[in-house]
Amino acid sequence: MDQILSKQFADLREAIDEIQRLKSAGQHVEVKRSAAALMFVALKHSNREVKRNIKSGRDELHAEKLKVDMSRLQLQSLLYDVSHLKKEIIKCQKFKSRDSHLELLSDEEYASKLPSSATNGDDKSEVSSHSKHLHRLECELRLRKDLDNQYKSLLTAKQDLLQENLNQTQRYGSFAPALRTLMDSTKPLHDALQLTLDVDWKLSAVYKYLPKPLYILFINLQSLQRINSDAPNKFHSEVVGFENEAHMQELLAAKQKLGFPVENGENGSSENILERLLDPFPLHIRITIFTSDNLHQMELVIRYWGLLKCATVQAQFSSNLAASANAPGDTSFVHDILRHLYPNDFGNEIPIPGIQCELQNLNLTADECLKHLEKNNFGKPFCWLQNMCSIPTVNTANEYVHELNLNKCTREAIARISKRCQSWVELSQQIRGLTYKDIDLDTLKENTAGILSGSLVQWTAITPEDFQAQSSDALNSISDDSTGESSNEVTHTFYRAVIVRGSAKMECFIKIFSNYPLEMPLWILCIHWNGCHTSKNSSAIKMMEYWTNSLRVEDLEPNHQFLFTQLFRTIYSFDIFLETEGSTQTTLEYNKEKPYLNPFTKRIRLRPYKYTKKGSVYAFKQ
Amino acid sequence: MKQRDLKRAYNNVLAQTFSTSRRHLFAGNLFGDIFVLSLKELYNEEPPGQLKLFPQGDKVDVNCLAFYKDFLIVGSVGLVYGLKWNEETEVLDSKRAWEVKIPIQVDAVEVPDVNSFWLCQNTNSLYAGCGDCTIYQITLEDGRILRDFSGHTDYIHCVVGNSSSGCIYTGSEDGTVRIWSHKQKEQVSQIEPHRKCDLTRTDCGKWIGAVDVNDEWLLCGGGPYPSIWHLRSLRSPQDFGFPARVHVCNFVDDSVLIAGEHDHIESYTINGILQANIPVEHTACYSAIWQTEPFKFMSVAGFSNKLHILKDFRFLDSKITLYGNVENEKEEIEDNKIYY
Repeated sequence: MDQILSKQFADLREAIDEIQRLKSAGQHVEVKRSAAALMFVALKHSNREVKRNIKSGRDELHAEKLKVDMSRLQLQSLLYDVSHLKKEIIKCQKFKSRDSHLELLSDEEYASKLPSSATNGDDKSEVSSHSKHLHRLECELRLRKDLDNQYKSLLTAKQDLLQENLNQTQRYGSFAPALRTLMDSTKPLHDALQLTLDVDWKLSAVYKYLPKPLYILFINLQSLQRINSDAPNKFHSEVVGFENEAHMQELLAAKQKLGFPVENGENGSSENILERLLDPFPLHIRITIFTSDNLHQMELVIRYWGLLKCATVQAQFSSNLAASANAPGDTSFVHDILRHLYPNDFGNEIPIPGIQCELQNLNLTADECLKHLEKNNFGKPFCWLQNMCSIPTVNTANEYVHELNLNKCTREAIARISKRCQSWVELSQQIRGLTYKDIDLDTLKENTAGILSGSLVQWTAITPEDFQAQSSDALNSISDDSTGESSNEVTHTFYRAVIVRGSAKMECFIKIFSNYPLEMPLWILCIHWNGCHTSKNSSAIKMMEYWTNSLRVEDLEPNHQFLFTQLFRTIYSFDIFLETEGSTQTTLEYNKEKPYLNPFTKRIRLRPYKYTKKGSVYAFKQ
Repeated sequence: MKQRDLKRAYNNVLAQTFSTSRRHLFAGNLFGDIFVLSLKELYNEEPPGQLKLFPQGDKVDVNCLAFYKDFLIVGSVGLVYGLKWNEETEVLDSKRAWEVKIPIQVDAVEVPDVNSFWLCQNTNSLYAGCGDCTIYQITLEDGRILRDFSGHTDYIHCVVGNSSSGCIYTGSEDGTVRIWSHKQKEQVSQIEPHRKCDLTRTDCGKWIGAVDVNDEWLLCGGGPYPSIWHLRSLRSPQDFGFPARVHVCNFVDDSVLIAGEHDHIESYTINGILQANIPVEHTACYSAIWQTEPFKFMSVAGFSNKLHILKDFRFLDSKITLYGNVENEKEEIEDNKIYY
């Protein structure tokens, strides 16, 4: 534009200059002047053009300026946003959710507790930890809701029960006056019949100081005792201890609860702590169980431990016979009786749910406590005992048991103990009789007159090593048995019996199990006669061994004793063996003395080991 | 000692037999239990599966077993009975399909044992050697006792026969092996191994515990040393030095298998040369059965809780436990009401 303008100006100047030159030359300028005037028109046009250009430029500028302003505004707002978001982020980072202090369980646990929630288990790898967390929270919420519902329903149930209790109490209460009048009105009848109903039920004041579980047990025992007073398996229960001591203890405990320090030096050693915490309660229950002949008795001392929340029992055996009191081995079996009373209940741990945690809070372990109890002869916490005291238990297999039929379980346990005790007393009497050779010969002769030709010359206790040196299939089949009761809990005692007839000698190795009479004594036989015959190399001896070991309690005739019967079986089997075997020998040492039909039957050449008796006639059969 | 341990320790397996299809082995013991072992796994060289147990009752001794068509035949005390075997479901019927009582003789005091079976496939008859010194021929078509063979003076240990010649050979506690024919009432002839001085063992007795025959030879053993006898001349050219009482002797392929009250079973050539001496756990062996089709297999049973499996008849292959290896075995529940 400026070029056009400058050209027009240049043209104008040229024209003016030309006019001036023509004027000064005095020539005619009219033509030139009109031409120059025309040039002004162009100039004017250009001027207009310029002006329009400027205007449009200005407009454009304005528009751009507006744009810039807009952008700037946006930028500002973005910057503001950024700073706001930054602040928000910091806020978020600093944010503490309320769920962070919730203790959450693992997914699997939720899945197991809420079976319906285990639906989206497939894409577990893809979900982030956050969503996992959310899922867990959700589960937690549901679990809590469930538990809450349960709690509510239990609460209502409890309310109902309380209400029912109240109703029943009221009902019973309403009986009381009627009963009293009945009692009063029948008083003459009581006197006539010499009934002392009102005297018996007055409980001694000391009972109310018993810990609750022991109180329950004691009341049950008392009621059983009243029913059983003329039964053969008698027992007697009593509370041992002084009322005032128990009273003192109660006062002390109350004091301690109120926060008064108890004057006991805080000694560091764990022994002392144990001793202080496991201080025996001044009252305990003593149950005395009599054997049927009333000569022997078993005492059970039952104590309760508030700290362990369980009861323990310690057994003692005593005898009214002076001679047997000092016989060895007599008392060891009482512990075995308690240990094997019920399967898998050896009293080696405290069967109270959650007791480990409570002991941990006191820096104690269950083992320490048990050791302490054992050391001080306080016995062991068997599950059956807790059942009798109505204490809920958890056994080794994590089964929760809360016995409610106390009467039945107490009766059963007492009956079991007295029956086992009876068996053991009989067994130990038999063993003593065999060891000291003062066998009750009359009972033997009566049943076995003239049967036995072999004679028992020796019966001694032997070490386990001596016994294990014997080889028999019977031993192998027991040792490879790892099922059932844990085999190391059953202990054994071993005996060796020697039976002689003529030149033949039989050694018997007897293994007696600590869970007798659940497991019967095992006999291993070895005959020394023309070489050594054992169950390994002779089927005849193996059948003999089977015949001895297969004796069951059910097969026993009344008044027969188990070990003696086994011994007789063994001795007459030995005779039969010698007599049947002797018939084929070149030098006849043993003649047939026993009444039997065939020396051998069956392909196994079975000998007539079986003794049968009909009236006064007896015979041996296969 | 617990009942369960007692059975394991004193398991006395007297009898074994194969099913007709040769897919199952039956073993019966003196506790009245019949074990069934499936041979499919052994055929496929796999470890054997668990056994099935079919108790027959405490009072029933399983003395001998045989298998006919789809029946397991059990010889017990005083009777022989059949049990139906279902091959598909592998179940032995608990109900007896039929029962044959052994006649009790007039002067008998005890019910006779059925000690040994021989099944004649040609005539479908079962020969049962019994405790009353008699062998009974029972037809399996209607369960009649066709005839008896009497003459032995003590109980029968073993009955075998030769289907082609129709002769029956029996070994007895009286020390004789007697040969019987259908055509004669009395025995055809008899052998008394204990009379031959190089066979007799005075300490072991004269009884014959096991007999086996092939077309030319008879093999027998018991108290006397085991020996083979020529069937026509009744002479014994060869005896075997098996060191104990013999309860099992068999012609296996072309050698002789002898077992008894000894911790080894021995395999000899016909000429008396010891070929194999196989240690076993049995106090005494009472039964050995074998087959060559569909695969070579031998099982030896006796007075122990194991079956001994020999696949090539020379070496011990494996042992199969009986009690303690049974499907759905019930743990013995101690009867507390007796003791508590």
